[in-house]
Amino acid sequence: MKFLENLIEIRKDSIDVGFFYESCHRLFGLNLIAENDGFSKKIKDYSIHRPGLALAGFLELFSFNRVQIFGNTEIRFLHSLEREKRIQSLKKFFEYDIPCIVFSNGHVPDEDFLNITRDKKISVFNSNLPTTKVVYFLSDFLDDQFAPQVTIHGSFVDVYGIGLLFVGRSGIGKSEIALDLVERGHRLVADDLILATRKGENVLMGTGTKLMKHFMEIRGLGLINVEKIFGVRAIRYQKRIEVLVVLEEWDSQKEYTRTGLENHTTNILGVNIPTIILPIFPGKNITVIAEIIALNYLLKHYGYDAAQDLKKRVEKGIQDRMNQKYERAVDYFEHDFE
Amino acid sequence: MIEKEVTILNRAGLHTRPAAILVQLASKYKSDFFIIHDDLVVNGKSIISVMTLLAPQGSKLKLKFEGIDEEEAAKEIVEYFNRGFDEL
Repeated sequence: MKFLENLIEIRKDSIDVGFFYESCHRLFGLNLIAENDGFSKKIKDYSIHRPGLALAGFLELFSFNRVQIFGNTEIRFLHSLEREKRIQSLKKFFEYDIPCIVFSNGHVPDEDFLNITRDKKISVFNSNLPTTKVVYFLSDFLDDQFAPQVTIHGSFVDVYGIGLLFVGRSGIGKSEIALDLVERGHRLVADDLILATRKGENVLMGTGTKLMKHFMEIRGLGLINVEKIFGVRAIRYQKRIEVLVVLEEWDSQKEYTRTGLENHTTNILGVNIPTIILPIFPGKNITVIAEIIALNYLLKHYGYDAAQDLKKRVEKGIQDRMNQKYERAVDYFEHDFE
Repeated sequence: MIEKEVTILNRAGLHTRPAAILVQLASKYKSDFFIIHDDLVVNGKSIISVMTLLAPQGSKLKLKFEGIDEEEAAKEIVEYFNRGFDEL
């Protein structure tokens, strides 16, 4: 089933080294050793590379277009060479168009290294963290930067810790439902325009745009700022998208699930999101149902599925009857003593 | 009003899946639809009620249809029973 049509996938194809440095400096304290006029260079690959073999002279399959990490191994290796050989090895290495260099474990390059990178206009950074941590942080950051993104028209609310994304035609009342949920103590992530991005393989994250964060349009009222009205408890910045709730006008010709035994999903950026199609009509309290959707999802997550449970009970009941164990639907009415 | 008698033909009886389909078929019609089994009379448009019947293979059920489209409703629903819920 397709509910979200014309989702246009956007993906960055490069980031500037300058932006890389500013972000990583802020996120986990990457230090600048030498700018070397290299801030306008582009990083085009989300992977990182440890150039041990390339320094040793094996330059086949050298992933030179990635961020290069110099850890203990690389440093030790370079120091094991005599000065002449070291410079020769580095010169060969820097013939390739490398975006930037990061030293881990607080290592600092020597004067020769800095001279060569200055010539080649390649920025050099370092971090006091051990190599595995540096690799982890950089990979996570680059993964996020190069992750595919889509924009979705809908309302996104954290209900009891479950990210419910409401979609449906405009004017069906998505914002009103979101507002009602906020009123009941849940937290708005974004309304109207939601940016969704894939994190790792199986997680879809959603957030609002910087500009429109927590603003909302209510028909007949205009724009409101949910954070200002309800305070900080009513909002959050980002949330995993866990359930897609498709709102539709009740259509008597259409069949809606009565048991919930079938599990529908919608594919967004390759992540399958559990999907609930909710017919609405005047007087139906969608807010309460939304809370139940969240709680039922939690229950399922913890291993209890009401539909499956009742299904099993019915099967057992039919079996028992087959074996002549006849019981009334209610076995015994006591007097009204409680 | 139309009254029909049907027998459950499939091995698994009137379990969850056929109950859900039965309710969906019945909900298409305006007519009221009741199922009578042993001591229970239930609304055939309510999933919980239909499941409560716990009717195994061989049980005889009485069906009652009442409303402007009772003929069509009776025809389609009786047929579904006679097909053994498509599980034969």
